[in-house]
Order: sequence, then C-alpha cells, then structure tokens
Amino acid sequence: MRQPSFDWTQGPAIPVVSVLFALVLGGLFVWISGHDPIQAYAALFRGAFGSPYDVSETLVIAVPLLLAGLSVAVAFRAGLFNIGAQGQLLVGAVAAGWVGALWPDLPGILLLPLTLAAGVLGGAAYGGIAGWLKAARGVNEVITTIMQNYTIVFVMHWLLQNGPMQAPNAFGTPASAPIGAGAILPIVLPDFLVPSSRLHAGIVLALLATLGFWFLLWRTSLGYELRAVGLGMRAAAQAGIDPRKRMVIVMAIAGGFAGLAGMIQVSGLFHRVYDGFSAGFGFDAIAVALLGKNTPVGVLLSALLFAAFSRGGTLMQSDAEISSHLVEIVEALVLFVIAAETVVRAVARRWGRPVKAAS
Amino acid sequence: MDTPIVEMARISKRFGDLQALAEVDLTVHKGDIHALVGENGAGKTTLMNILYGLYRPDAGTIRVRGTEAHIAGPRDAIALGIGMIHQHFMLVPPLTVAENVVLGDERGGPVLDTRGIEARVAELEKRFGIQAEPRAKIEDVPLGIQQRVEILKVLYRGSEILIFDEPTAVLTPQEVDDLFHIVRTLRDEGKTVILITHKLREVMAVSDHVTVLREGRNAAHLVTKETDPRAIAVAMVGRELRDIRVRPGNVGPAVLEITSLSAESDRGGLALKGVDVEVHAGEVVGIAGVGGNGQSELAQCILGLRKVTGGVIKVGGSDVAHDDPRRTRQRGVAYVPEDRRAEGLVLPFTLADNFILGRQDQPPYARRGILQGRVIRREGERLAKEFDVRPPDPDVEVGTLSGGNQQKVVLGREISESPRLIVANQPTRGLDIAATEYVHERLLEQRSRGCAILLISSELDEILDLSDRIAVMFEGRIVAVLPAAEATEERLGLLMAGHVEGVPA
Repeated sequence: MRQPSFDWTQGPAIPVVSVLFALVLGGLFVWISGHDPIQAYAALFRGAFGSPYDVSETLVIAVPLLLAGLSVAVAFRAGLFNIGAQGQLLVGAVAAGWVGALWPDLPGILLLPLTLAAGVLGGAAYGGIAGWLKAARGVNEVITTIMQNYTIVFVMHWLLQNGPMQAPNAFGTPASAPIGAGAILPIVLPDFLVPSSRLHAGIVLALLATLGFWFLLWRTSLGYELRAVGLGMRAAAQAGIDPRKRMVIVMAIAGGFAGLAGMIQVSGLFHRVYDGFSAGFGFDAIAVALLGKNTPVGVLLSALLFAAFSRGGTLMQSDAEISSHLVEIVEALVLFVIAAETVVRAVARRWGRPVKAAS
Repeated sequence: MDTPIVEMARISKRFGDLQALAEVDLTVHKGDIHALVGENGAGKTTLMNILYGLYRPDAGTIRVRGTEAHIAGPRDAIALGIGMIHQHFMLVPPLTVAENVVLGDERGGPVLDTRGIEARVAELEKRFGIQAEPRAKIEDVPLGIQQRVEILKVLYRGSEILIFDEPTAVLTPQEVDDLFHIVRTLRDEGKTVILITHKLREVMAVSDHVTVLREGRNAAHLVTKETDPRAIAVAMVGRELRDIRVRPGNVGPAVLEITSLSAESDRGGLALKGVDVEVHAGEVVGIAGVGGNGQSELAQCILGLRKVTGGVIKVGGSDVAHDDPRRTRQRGVAYVPEDRRAEGLVLPFTLADNFILGRQDQPPYARRGILQGRVIRREGERLAKEFDVRPPDPDVEVGTLSGGNQQKVVLGREISESPRLIVANQPTRGLDIAATEYVHERLLEQRSRGCAILLISSELDEILDLSDRIAVMFEGRIVAVLPAAEATEERLGLLMAGHVEGVPA
C-alpha cells in the first residue's frame, strides 16, 4: 500500500491561508471606505502589541477566549456542537461570584479553590444538562445550548436586578456584592514591569487547562473514548463504549472549561458579577475552536489572534479613525473562509488526487 | 475472423505512483458476453472507465469497429454506441421508470410526450425481455428492477456495447438469475456485453470469453467453455488456491443458546419473530438468507446493540439478552460487523488505536485511566504483523487501508482475545479472493480452537464451505436447520425464498 502523498489540507495551512485571505479582503474594504489599509493594520497591530501594557491587555482578553474555545473544541472532538459556551461561562461566573461573596472573610487558600470549584462545577452542570437531554431524549444539543444561553441571561436579570444576588447597598444597580479578597486572582505582572497591568493569574489557569485538554484527549482512556465517539459512533458503540454516557460527560467537561472562564472573569477582573457580564466571548469561542481546528496549540493561537483583533480594533478606531467594525468584518471573513474549508477540501480531493482505482 | 467490435491495445494508466494498468489488451467480439475479471485493484474498472471516456489512457490505442477512437468523455462513448451500467444506480427516485429512462435524452420539444415515451420504453422492454412497469415510480421498485431501468436507459440511447460494472453486488440470487436471462437476451439480439465481476460462478454461468487482469496486467484470456473456475481463480490470484473446506471437528457444549427471540426493526415492525438457534463450541453455524430477513438484527441482539423484546439469549449458560455490548463482550463474545467502515473501525484512528478499540481502559493498554502509548504501539505493530496487515505500520490511518486489510484489523482485534463466540456478519463482503481466503482460514482456525462461530452470510458458497450446520432465515424466523452434508444450493435457495419443506407450494 502506498503512502498518500502530502496532503496540504492537513495541518496549519488552511487556517493560516484563511486568516491571510480574510486580512486581504478586509484591507480591500478599508481601501473602498477611503482609508489606507496598511495604516489601518499598523494601527491594529500597535493597539494589540504596541507596548507591554497593550500586550497584557490583549492577554486579558485571550484568557476567557481560550477557555471558551477549549469548551467548544472538546465537544467537537466528541462530535457535538456546543453553542452554549456563553451560557456556561455565565453560570460559572454567577456560581463563582456567589461563593466568592458568601464567605468573604475566608482565607484565600480556602476561598479561591472553593470559588474555582463553584465556577467549574456550575458550568459543568449547565453543560451536562444539554448532554443529558441529547443522550436521554435525543434533543439536538445545538438547540438546547442556544436556549440555555438565553435562560441564564434572564436568570441573571432576576438574580441581580433587585434579586437575591444584588449587592445590599447597590441602590438598583444590577450587580452582585464584591467577592472576598481571598477569592481574587493576583496580578501576575508587577508594576515596575508593566504599570497598572490587569493581567491576572487566570492566564496560568488557562494555560494549565490547555495542557489538561491535550492530556485528557490524547493521553487518557476517556479521551480516547470521546474521540472514538466523535469519529465513529457506531464503531465505538459496538465495542462497548456507550456514546450516550460519553455525550453527557463531554458536555459537562465543555461546560467546565467555559465555567472556568466565567470564574476567572469574576476572580481576576471584575471581582463581582453584573448584568451584561462578559457578553460575546462564548460566541467568538466557536470561531476560535474552528480556526484552531480543535487542537490545543491551534485554539491557543487563534484565541490570541481574536484577542488581538478585539483589542487592536478598539485602538485602531481611536488612532486611525477607522471604524472598529472593520475588525468585525475581518473576523467574519475568517469564519467565512474556515466554513468554506469543506468546499476547498472537496475541490482539493477532486483535483489534487486521482479517484482511487477501484476495480 | 471478423473485426473485433472493441479492441483496446497496450493500454497504460498511472495514478500518482500507482501503475493501475500496464500495457493491457482487451479484444471483444460482436455478439459476445465478455467477462472482465480480477481481484480488487487489478484494474478492471479503470480499464472500463477508459473505454467509457471517464479517464484518458497514458498510452495505448482503442479501436471501435476497426476504427481508431479518441474517447474524451462519456458523450463520445455514447456516440460510439458504448453504454455503462454503473454499480451504483443513477436514478431519480420520485420519477417514473419511463421518465428515468429518457432522462437527459428527452426528444422533442419542451413538453414531455409522456405517452410516446412510455410507448417507446414498452417497446424496448418487449424486444429485450426486460420487465419493468414503465409507470411505476423508482422509489417503489426493488433494486433488481432499478437495475433494469439502468439497462433500459443505456439501450434507449442506442448502445450496442453494454458495460456492466459488478452488476450482481446488490442483487438477491433470484434477481441475479433474472439479470443473466436479460444479458443472454441482449446477446441474442446482437448486443455486445462486457461484464466486470470477480465472482467465478457468474463468469461460468453467463460469459463466452474471459479476460483476466492481475495487478494491472493481462493474466489470461480464456474461452469459458474450455476452462473451469479453478483455472480462472489461479489466473486471478497468481497462485494455487488452498482448499478451504470444513472438516468434521470436535463439537463441545452449547455456547450460544437462543430461544424464541424477538426484536423490532429500525422501522418499528417485528424483525425477529421467535428465533431459536444454538451454536456449540468448535462449531460453525451458518445463517443463510436473503439480506434483510432479520440476520443483522439477530447479530445486534446477541451483542446487545438492539433491544430484545422477548426471548432468551444465553452465552455460556447466562442470559445476556438485556446486557449492553460491554458486558456481553466481557463474556467472551466477539463481533465482526457487517459494515466494517462504519461499525468495525474508527477510520481516522491509527492501526494501533483501532486494535485497542473496546479495551482502551484495560491493562496493559491503560493504567488508572492513562493510556500506555508505548504498549499500544508495540501491540499494534505485533498484531499488524501477526494478521498480515499491509503496511504493518501502527501509525497508519486505517481509513487509507484497502478493504481486505481493514477487515484483517477488525478480525485481528476480535480474535486476539481468544473469544468463545464469534458473531461474524458478512465477513467477506466486498473482499477479493485472496482476502476472503484469509478470513475463512482464520475463522476455521478459531473453530478448531474450540470457538463457537455464528456466520451470517448471503453468499451461499461461503455458507456451504464453512458451516457445520446451516440455518435458513426467512422473514424473521429460522425456517430450517440442516447439517451441512444435507444442504445443497438448490435446497437452500428454495428455503431462502420462503418455500417451506414438506408443504406443497
């Protein structure tokens, strides 16, 4: 049997080409709108990486994106489409904000792990519901997770707007009481290195989670089973791997990653939960996972890229006076090209390689 | 001697680094049924795709009726009177038989002359003895009739040379007989037929001449009347065949005991209506039957993949009817599924990973939930060598292997744990002679080890060659159980078609 010749549709080629293609097309839009694309992208880059402070701000955005991206990616590996990272993130944030404020005087060595556990378990439970509905009732996880995203938003309205979680002295502001000092993630960059950096220890947790993602999927029996279910459900089932159980487990794991993202936003950044909290990360996470091809390094890199877009776009607007919507256009184009990958692949198969001789 | 109607000379074709055809000759005379045979990968379909214009040859000439032809596409081929009946039908299900026949060749104006079309189609049916109700919708007629529609399509376009690509793969034995009747009528009406197949029985039954290809080269050209199946097989495989015939063995106690088993099909009706069957240690029980009479459901029930609605399945004395696949397998049940690509293997996984499927959480492959990568790779390499998988590379993706090698991976995984019962559903479907021989040898090896084997197959030859006892399944029931010595093809054929013995039809 001959080895198949090099297949350029594997590996990082397609994501890289997609991003470049999207940037070129985006530049075209800038040019049409009467600006200089080179200048625009220079401003974007400066905004994201221009100074140590900008880099640290980019990383602050990358942390939740990375975790939510891992959430979507782990579900993908088992063949499920988790649109609910956003909702799971919010549940994790609410659980962490609640526990963190419940015993504000506990020392950090107790309170931080408790807060972390609350965030992860909250997200896991929320994700697990979608997995269970799929396994037990055959309800499409795309539908349930989308609905769950709305549910938690309204539950948060209720909790925070004159509800049980609203801070006692908030006077109508929809925000929770601040978490105890022990639940706060420390800033990792000291002032003499990067003055007033907001980059917190959540980045360490996110990197550990990325390592955990890799270890789980490629080094454990459970990870093997999840991938087997994702790539060959019937083969897995006949070999004694019950796909339904694995669906519940993987959705709980996915929810756990997203819940951790929510916990980190609370413990590292805002120190409380408020209405309208961290909107949108869970949706960008779908793009992050797709662009990263559900691999740990890929998700890490694409989380950085999307964070840079987000941070740089804001600055581009103020510096170069180009609407930050351009960034949204570029992000959309990246998604578009990634989505077209299936088409590209099909074309590559058809023209790049002969149809197998089958007689 | 008259000019051959088709003369392909020194045809070569290369795909990447694979030499699919090397200087192959094929000469077909008018009014002949010419069988083109060979193992999988021998180049039969490639050669015919060249004749039909789907591929361009790298070298060689094609003459049709004595004139050199440059066939750039199917359009050119059709203009030369060449038509192809593909293995996978290309019909539009909601349209009628007649509409499908004229599809792509609607004569006249924009308005379909339905009555005229039906009349023309009916005329073709009459002339060639092909019965297919012109007004029936394709989605309502069985595969055998759909194939007739494909034949009518080709005839409607005025084809003189008809290429059949593995036409019997999807047909029941009865439908195969009908097809051969049609093929003979076509010949008698002056058409020329080229039949691609690897089934020797069909070659002997219907062809006049045989061209054998092996590994992209001419291996033999034979006149059917002057040869025998053995000679053709030797030319196909390139060596003498081993004689695989079951010899009486030592039959032990019952391993599998099924009593009045019932289960539903996916569509909700009853697929199994009280099945009773027993398989003893050291015995092969063949389940013969036309596909779709409950055989697959029976296998799935034994494994625990389908809900049992009534009855008992005992393995080694304990009832497993309501166990899940994991628990059933722990009792020593192995399974060779019908569809190896979807059910037997995780195609994007490596060879080594596929060998541990189902044992991914057990020592030595995993300890405390952590995979032991080195052990898995080493085992993969060892099993690949032991079961002659090519290439024996533990890191190769199984999706890239040939069908025969994929089946070796499934079989190797299933028998490496020394099971006490093997449920094998169509274990050689789509495999060529050499791979089939390999699978049969391995199964019989397990039988002599004392393993009980339930063999489900729609190939009568396979059932007859391997079984100690043969159970015939029809409409969800076992209608007869015969010792292999008393079974003949005719008797089985009748039972499979639902004729109950002892009751006059």
